[in-house]
Amino acid sequence: MHLSRRAFIKSGIAASTAATVGLPIAKLTEAAAAEVEKDWQWDKAVCRFCGVGCGIMVATKEGRIVATKGDPKAPVNKGLNCIKGYFNGKILYGKDRLTQPLMRMKDGKFDKKGQFVPVTWEQAFDEMERQWRRVYAEKGPTGVAIIGSGQYTIQEGYTAVKLMKVGMRSNNIDPNARNCMASAVAAFMQTFGIDEPAGNYDDVEHADTIVLWGANMAECHPILWSRVTDRRLSDKNVRVVNLSTYHNMSSDVADLEILFKPNTDLAIQNYIAREIIARNAVNWDFVNKHCVFATGPYDIGYGMRPTSKFAYDAEKDTQAKELRVKLDRNEAIAQRRQAGEEVEQKNAATADKHWLIGFEDFKKAVEPYTLDFVAELAKADPDEPLEKFKAKLRQLADLYIDPTRRVTSFWTMGFNQHQRGTWVNEQTYMNHLLLGKIASPGNSPFSLTGQPSACGTAREVGTFSHRLPADMVVNIAKHRETAEKLWKLPAKTLNPKPGSHIVKIMRDLEDGSVKWCWVQVNNPFQHNANANHWLRAAREKDNFIIVSEAYPSISAKVADLILPVAMIFEKWGGYGNAERRTQLWRQQVPPPGQARADVWQMLEFSKRIKLKDVWGEQSVPGLKEEGFPDGKLPSVLDEAVKMGYSPEDSLYKALFATPDNLKVKWPDPVAKGHDNHIVSLLGDGWFVEKALFEEYARFGRGHAHDLAPFDRYYDDDVRGLKWPVVNGRETAIRFNEQYDPYVRKGAGIEFYGPAMKALPLGNLDAVTDPAPKSLAGKAKIFFRPYAAPAEQPDAHYDLWLCTGRVLEHWHSGTMTRRVPELHRAVPAAQLWLHPKDAEKRGLKRNDLVWIESRRGKIQVRVEIGGRNRMVQGYVFVPWFDEGVFINRLTLDTTCPISKETDFKKCAVKVYKA
Amino acid sequence: MNFSGIAVTTKPEWVDAVAQGLAALPGVEVFGRDAASGKLVIVQEAASVADEVAGFKAIRSLPNVIAADLVYHYFADDTELVSAMPDDLSALEGISVPAELKD
Repeated sequence: MHLSRRAFIKSGIAASTAATVGLPIAKLTEAAAAEVEKDWQWDKAVCRFCGVGCGIMVATKEGRIVATKGDPKAPVNKGLNCIKGYFNGKILYGKDRLTQPLMRMKDGKFDKKGQFVPVTWEQAFDEMERQWRRVYAEKGPTGVAIIGSGQYTIQEGYTAVKLMKVGMRSNNIDPNARNCMASAVAAFMQTFGIDEPAGNYDDVEHADTIVLWGANMAECHPILWSRVTDRRLSDKNVRVVNLSTYHNMSSDVADLEILFKPNTDLAIQNYIAREIIARNAVNWDFVNKHCVFATGPYDIGYGMRPTSKFAYDAEKDTQAKELRVKLDRNEAIAQRRQAGEEVEQKNAATADKHWLIGFEDFKKAVEPYTLDFVAELAKADPDEPLEKFKAKLRQLADLYIDPTRRVTSFWTMGFNQHQRGTWVNEQTYMNHLLLGKIASPGNSPFSLTGQPSACGTAREVGTFSHRLPADMVVNIAKHRETAEKLWKLPAKTLNPKPGSHIVKIMRDLEDGSVKWCWVQVNNPFQHNANANHWLRAAREKDNFIIVSEAYPSISAKVADLILPVAMIFEKWGGYGNAERRTQLWRQQVPPPGQARADVWQMLEFSKRIKLKDVWGEQSVPGLKEEGFPDGKLPSVLDEAVKMGYSPEDSLYKALFATPDNLKVKWPDPVAKGHDNHIVSLLGDGWFVEKALFEEYARFGRGHAHDLAPFDRYYDDDVRGLKWPVVNGRETAIRFNEQYDPYVRKGAGIEFYGPAMKALPLGNLDAVTDPAPKSLAGKAKIFFRPYAAPAEQPDAHYDLWLCTGRVLEHWHSGTMTRRVPELHRAVPAAQLWLHPKDAEKRGLKRNDLVWIESRRGKIQVRVEIGGRNRMVQGYVFVPWFDEGVFINRLTLDTTCPISKETDFKKCAVKVYKA
Repeated sequence: MNFSGIAVTTKPEWVDAVAQGLAALPGVEVFGRDAASGKLVIVQEAASVADEVAGFKAIRSLPNVIAADLVYHYFADDTELVSAMPDDLSALEGISVPAELKD
C-alpha cells in the first residue's frame, strides 16, 4: 500500500514536471497527478529571493505548504527553479523561527543590559512607544529612523514611508537596497530623468552580444543565466563576455573573459568610447536627435565620514582621503592632471552636480584612454601576456561596435557597489547611447537587481531618505505639494530635508544623533561594511533598537526588542522585479505562533501616536539651507483641524484607516477563500493591502509609472505586468514609440523622464554659462574619468578583498541557512585564494587562517580551487555566513553620489591561525 | 520524505546514455525522455532531507548533462518539518528563547 502510494506520488510529480517542460504525458500519469494533488489548493505566487522575479506555484493543505513548483506560465522562468527558488516552501519552517516578541529585561522591566525574555505584543508596543516619546521629545524627527528593505512588499514599503515621512515627519527611512542598487538609480535619474530600465529580460533572446560587467549571473541570477546559456547554444553567432576581477562560474560559458583590476572598469569603458569615436562609429543620427553630452566634478571624495573623530587609529590614513587625494600616475593621465598633485575633495557634498559640454570636449576627455594606457592599467592577472589582454579589449570593442550586432549589457554589484558606482553605470549608457543601441529588442543596457522588490518597493514606492513615491523627491517643493495633495495633508507637513541614508543611520547611531531605530525585513548589522563600529554602537550607546525578524539574525541578536514577523506566504503582498514586472500574491498559510506581518506591526504602533505629538512645530537641524528661515518645520495642526482632522486623532486613523480606505471592504471576491491575518487582527473590516496598493498607485498613474488595478494582478491569465500599464496593456520597452504609450507620436525614440532636464553649460572643468538650458526628451552621454580606489594593497595589507554571494545562499543567509540542504551544500564561507599566494604564505586548502584589515580580523578556512579562481593578489569571501563575519573587515566607502557602499575592494592580509 | 521533479537537458544523440546514467543514481527514476528535444523527466526520492541537494549535484555533474533544472518540490509527507515548528512557543515556557539569543 505504502509502496504503491509512493509510486503513485512519483508518477504524479513526473507528470507535472513533464507538463512544465512540454513533454507529452501518458494518460495514466496525468491521472496520478490529479489524484496526488486532489486535496491540495494550488495558487500562483512569486519567489522570495533575488530580483529576477520567478513565478512559482504553491500548494497548501490544511494550513501548511506541501509542495512548490516552477510556474510554467511565468514568462520569466517558464516553469524552472534555481536551487534557492526550489526551497521557497521550506524557509518558513526552520526550527529556530521566532514566534513571539522578545525584549531585553532585568527585574521585570526593559534594560539595555538585560537578557531576552518573551513578552506580549502589548508590552512590546508599550516599551517602543515609551522609548519613541523619549527620543522624539529630545531629538525631534531626526532622532528616529527606520531601516527598510528591498524585500519589503509594496504595501510594507508604502506603510513605512507614510508612517515616517507623513506621520513622524522624518526622512530617516532608508532601505538595505541603498547598498544594492542605489548607484543604478542615481545613474538612471541623471542619464534618463526617470528610474528603471528601458528593456526587459526578453532582450536576452534578441541579443547577439551579451556582456556581463561585475555580475556573476551563474551564481546570483541562475534562471536568467540559463536563458543566456540557451541563447548562446541556440545561435553560433552569439557571443558572451564576462568582465570580472576573478574567474567565476559565469566565465565557464563565456566566449571571452576579461579579468581587470578594481576600478579599472571606468577606464575600459572609456577605451570603448574612444574606439567608437576613432572608428567613426558614432550613430550620429541617434545622438543628434536624442542625446546631449555632460560631465561633473571629479573631486567628490569617497563617502566616508569627513572627520577622523570616530575612526580607529589604523583607519585614519584611509579616512584622510575623504578630504585630500594625491593623484597617482594613472589618475593623472585619466584626469589630464599632474601625477603627485594633491586634490582637495571640494565637491564631496555636491558630487551629483553636472553640466552640459560639447562633443569636442567629450572627445578630448576620452582621448587619453588609449589601448596601451588602459591595457597596462587594467590587466589583473600577472601571468597573462599584455598583448593577449590587449587583443581581448579590442575584441570587446568589436563586439560592442559591430553595426550588425544587437548588444545587451548586464551588471549588478560589481558596478553598483563601487566607489564610483554612479559613474560606471553612466558609462555603460554612454557607450550604448553613442551607438544608438538602446530601447529596441536585444539592445539593452540592463541593471540587474539582487532583491525581490528593490525595484517595485524600495525604488518605486520611494523608501529612500530623499524620495517620495513615483520618482518624486522631498527636496523639490513641487513634489512635496503633489504628495501633500494626494495624501490630503496640510501644506508643509512634509519635511524638505533628505534624511540619513543607511550608512549614515549606522554612523548616526554611533555618534548619538539617532536613538530610536526600527529594522524591518533586513539584517543591517551583518550587511553593512565596517560592522564593528555599528555593533558597538547598537549595544553600548544610549539607543533603542527594534528588529522585526523571522529568524535570530545578527541584527536580532544586537536588538533591544525583537518582533516576530510573518514571512512571504503568510501574508498578502506584491513585489516588482528588475524588468518593471509587478506580481501580487495571496496569503497561503497562517503565520506561526504570534508572528505578525510587518504591516500589522506598523499599523498597531501607529495607533499609539497622535497628530498633536508630531504635527506641531518641530525643529530639524539643517533646515535653513532648504529655505525654512527659522530652521523649523511649522505646526500644521490648525490647518489640519480645518481639513477635518483632530489633534487627538491617531496616526492610524489619520493616515491609514482613512474614510477612503475604510470603503475598501474585506471580504473580497479576489481572495477566493484565502485568509488575511492582518484584517482579522485589526478587526475593522478594511482590506488593508488592497486599499494601500490603490492609494499608492494614484501617485504613478498618468505619470509613466502606471500600475494596473489591484484585482487585475490576481486574474488567472496574469503573471505580473510590466509598468506602465496603460489601457490594460503592459509596456515591454520604454522610450520606444512602438511599445511605450508615453512617447509622443512620431518621435520614434523619446527619453521623456522629467528629472534634471535643464542644465548649465560648461567645459570639462567647470560651468561657463550658468543659465539652465532645457534638454527635454533627451538622454545624457556622460564623460566620467578613471579614479583610483581609496584603499589599495600596500606592504602591510597586501591583498585585495572582494565580497559577494554564492549560488546556494542568499543575502545574509538568515533564510537559506535554515534549509538543511542549502546549509550542507556550503556550510561555512571560505576564503578563495590564488595557489601562488597560498604557497607564499605556506597555506594549503582547508587551513584555518586569519584575515585582517585596518578595521578588524576574523578566522576562515582557505579554498584554492572550486568555483572561483582568483588572480594573484586577490581574495574573495562570501558574506552569507554570520560565523565568517566578513563585514567586520570591509570598508564603508560609498559612491559619493548614490551613497551605496563599495563591498568589492579594500586591503587585507592573510596569515595562518 | 522529499521528492523532486527535475528536467534534464542533453543533446538528442545522448538521451539514451544519459537516461542510463541517471537511472543508476540512488533514488532516481526516469519517467520520460524525448529524443527530439534532448529532454528527460526524472523524479528523485531522498530519504533524508540532506541527500536531496547531494543527489541534485550528482545529476548535474553526470557526463553529457547540459542542464538539470528543479521544477517540482514535494514535501507533504515530511512530518519532521511540521513537528519542528510548535504552534505557539509561548505555550512552551522555559524553552521559548532561542539559545542563540542568550548571550
